[in-house]
Amino acid sequence: MVQFYLEGERVSEFVAHLMNHKTVYAPHRKGQKSFSFERTQNPADVVLDYPRTMHSVKKYFLPPREELLTFDLKKNDFETSDIPVCDAIFLGVHSYDLAAVGRLDYNFTVGSPERNYLTRRQDAIFIGVSFEPDKYHFSGSVGIRPEDNTGCDIFLTKLFDGYVLEVLTPTGQELMEGMDLPAHEAGKPATGHFHQHIFVPQAKLSEIMERSYDNPVWEETAEKCVGCGTCNLVCPTCYCFNVEENVDITVTKGNRERHWDGCMLRKFSEVAGGEVFRESLASRQRHRIFRKFKYISDQTGQPWCVGCGRCTAYCTAGISIVSIVNRLIGEYERAAVAPV
Amino acid sequence: MNLSELKTPAELEDLYHPVMAEIKEVKRLSAMETYYRVELPGGEDLGHMPGQFVELSIFGVGEAPFSVSSSPTLKGSFELGVRRAGMLTDVLLRQQPGTKIGIRGPFGNGIDVEKFKGKDVLIVAGGIGLVPMRSMINYVIDNRDQFGKLIICYGSKSENDLLFTDELAQWDKDPSIDYHVTVDHGSESWQGNTGVITTLIPRLDLDLANTVCCICGPPVMYRFVLMSLKSKGLSDESIYMSLERRMKCGVGKCGHCQINHSYVCQDGPVYHYPDIKSMQEAL
Repeated sequence: MVQFYLEGERVSEFVAHLMNHKTVYAPHRKGQKSFSFERTQNPADVVLDYPRTMHSVKKYFLPPREELLTFDLKKNDFETSDIPVCDAIFLGVHSYDLAAVGRLDYNFTVGSPERNYLTRRQDAIFIGVSFEPDKYHFSGSVGIRPEDNTGCDIFLTKLFDGYVLEVLTPTGQELMEGMDLPAHEAGKPATGHFHQHIFVPQAKLSEIMERSYDNPVWEETAEKCVGCGTCNLVCPTCYCFNVEENVDITVTKGNRERHWDGCMLRKFSEVAGGEVFRESLASRQRHRIFRKFKYISDQTGQPWCVGCGRCTAYCTAGISIVSIVNRLIGEYERAAVAPV
Repeated sequence: MNLSELKTPAELEDLYHPVMAEIKEVKRLSAMETYYRVELPGGEDLGHMPGQFVELSIFGVGEAPFSVSSSPTLKGSFELGVRRAGMLTDVLLRQQPGTKIGIRGPFGNGIDVEKFKGKDVLIVAGGIGLVPMRSMINYVIDNRDQFGKLIICYGSKSENDLLFTDELAQWDKDPSIDYHVTVDHGSESWQGNTGVITTLIPRLDLDLANTVCCICGPPVMYRFVLMSLKSKGLSDESIYMSLERRMKCGVGKCGHCQINHSYVCQDGPVYHYPDIKSMQEAL
């Protein structure tokens, strides 16, 4: 594996080099503590040292709104909308967000593979960057280390004054052509440790969830929860969507669009006639957590939560996914050792 | 997952692409329900099994799942029975024969008719639950020699809400069908049974070892019908049920129809009771 040294001073030069090849999406500062993946216009806007973006790169492969078809109401006919290929470089992606892309790849491939997602996703190039876990990250507990470069074409590991740049694929190699960097001979620094942990592996978590279906934690969490769906909105592995029609003001044409939806919203499980199959917030909280640690995980063996910490960091009611899960683990283990 | 193992996305079918089908016939079934006969381009068969559903759309209004009411033995077109329950069904109600609508599907597993062959078939349908069950009833009628007795229990709010009344009269007359009907509230002129659907079950003459049952009705009905069937002595293994959820995409992607881990549009809407007994969101 080839390793180079990318001096901190030369990051902008590197970004400019990439922009000569392709469109570059990278984290940009949006406020004092807020970061967002944006299309890079100016290399100086790219921030590689950031805790997390509010939304992951999911938004490029499963856009918040996506046109499925356009219709002509006079002719009562339609045309399928073109889905553009996302032939771009995603620079500065953290390992948990790339792991989340892997989860979405599964969801949009299993059963009926979905043209829309896969078209956007197929040509994406990823340049990962290591991160320093903050008070919300717990990806280490779900097997995703900050230095994990799975799925990357190039990976950057933060040094004190720059980055170790590893070229991992032929695509990565092509990208580096014309970018002259010195070799990096020394090793890589150890990445920081996590401050948040889930204390059991997935295999056991599945069993714990099974036993926790009627745990009071769901009701108690629901007392705080306002049902706003922010946790769904910011989750990099949430992929549920709704489909709606938009009619032009002329009432002659319009489109059918899908947009992100969330299982925390009351209307999510509503059917015609008004029946809501997951009426209580407690049942919706349980569904959300089970979707991350049980339902899909039982099929794949992997947790469907990647430990990014977004749902907790952005929760409008201060609900922590780690606290919920650790409480279930704690109660399970106490029950297991309790005398019969 | 290695995406390169897949077909290139350009070769993949667009899962959300409807086919423009034509409404051939519209009939009022009751104050709230309407019958539609729909023809696909070129009179192609829908290729469904009893219990499956389609996604029906009207541009500018929306798309929603509807059970197919006709048996696959009906060729050249298929039938729907639609309750007026929202904007899409309101607009659908105003459509005349000749109108084109979008159709995707059929979706879902449908009834595994092989499991019913050679057995007595018990259908328990409440209200609009008759619409999907009618696909199975007519399938059995059209393949009479492949099944044992056909027993139908149908419950409705009132006699005015009874659907497919012409067919009900035929089933009642047919000596090979054991047909029972009840209404929750009968008017003075109603001569038949009064009471909820479970009142029909104790009187049934069932060959318990050789009967397979399929249930479909409003959410509140299942638990009570199950209790009645169990006290009648029917085993869990002989019970199937069709469940309603919000199958928005039909292809196992959008998440709306989930019952615990199960996507109703993929694993259902027809479930074998032993498979969902432990799924707490199911019933």
